[in-house]
Amino acid sequence: MTHDTLALHGTGHKDTNPVLGWWAGGVAIGVVLILAVALVQPIGVSTQYVVLDGVLLHNVLPDVASKSPYLAKTAAGWTLATYEFFFVLGIPLGALLAAMATSRFSTRVVPSEWSTRFGSNPGHRLVWSFVGGFLLLFGARFGGGCTSGHMISGVSQLAVSSLVFSVALFASAIVTARWMYGDRGKR
Amino acid sequence: MMLLLGLVLGTAFGAALQLSGASSHTKVTRALRLKDLTIIKLIVTAIGVGLIGVHLLDLSGWANMKVKDLFLPGMIVAGLIFGVGFAVSGYCPGTALVAAAEGKPDAWVTVLGGMFGALVFAFMFPDLETMLLSLGEYGPVTIHGLLGIQGAILAFPLGGLCLWLAARLPGSGGAR
Repeated sequence: MTHDTLALHGTGHKDTNPVLGWWAGGVAIGVVLILAVALVQPIGVSTQYVVLDGVLLHNVLPDVASKSPYLAKTAAGWTLATYEFFFVLGIPLGALLAAMATSRFSTRVVPSEWSTRFGSNPGHRLVWSFVGGFLLLFGARFGGGCTSGHMISGVSQLAVSSLVFSVALFASAIVTARWMYGDRGKR
Repeated sequence: MMLLLGLVLGTAFGAALQLSGASSHTKVTRALRLKDLTIIKLIVTAIGVGLIGVHLLDLSGWANMKVKDLFLPGMIVAGLIFGVGFAVSGYCPGTALVAAAEGKPDAWVTVLGGMFGALVFAFMFPDLETMLLSLGEYGPVTIHGLLGIQGAILAFPLGGLCLWLAARLPGSGGAR
């Protein structure tokens, strides 16, 4: 069986296993959503990838950026000084503080489940990480939201679009994961 | 002021995700293979708390709701694409940022791939919109709206069901 050993850098830490139980973590995420809905609006992440793209592109090639009506509309005013962008900026900040407080950093390139199935070649893992990220954001922008916007915010509001998106997401993720990381051909 | 509020809420969100192990490729892929449901329990708990809390706010008139439009074939295709990305990378757009902050290089690359995917979508959007998105547009529908009832009537029992389910689902099964 696989254990959570670090594939490349054995720093003695297990990957980044939870220090908070699922219930405490789930309640904390739910409370952030409730506060956000009370004070501003439901939470969301994936739109800000478009905003960052738009602002970066507008700084380098303003003509090209303006050619996409979607980019111009999403990154309105070509600015990052918005509540929405600062919320997303806070996510890595909070993660960094939490990782520092609990000394749970990890610089492993290849996760253990990946190396068990596909070997410990870092280049291979990085190429597929890029592809995975591409599909995540392409799908999220196509559907108008991601795990935060659709699954947590949307389902909490009983939105039909979010339920449809979440069911399709889990169906495809479970089939893909079982096929990719499954026990077939395991050493 | 709004920027600071965004940063504070985002920081709390990022810290909660980090501390509960949502940024662990191992935890996520094991959840998707139905081997260790900790992450599923986490999400279902968050939705349960969210359902009850958001609709309590709604009853008191304090909720700023924002329901996304339903595009029927498009939403399914989008979820299917996202699901493959979720299984391959082991991250979602939010937890990739968390994992990147923890120092995981594959998460940095996932974020870059995400920025590229978002950019490609932005330039394909006019064509995609005419092709798929416009095929069955139903607007921002909710279940309670379709039934013509108050949201809380559904949200409270469903929220309770989520919390019950989260407690009943098996966790890491002694693999700790």
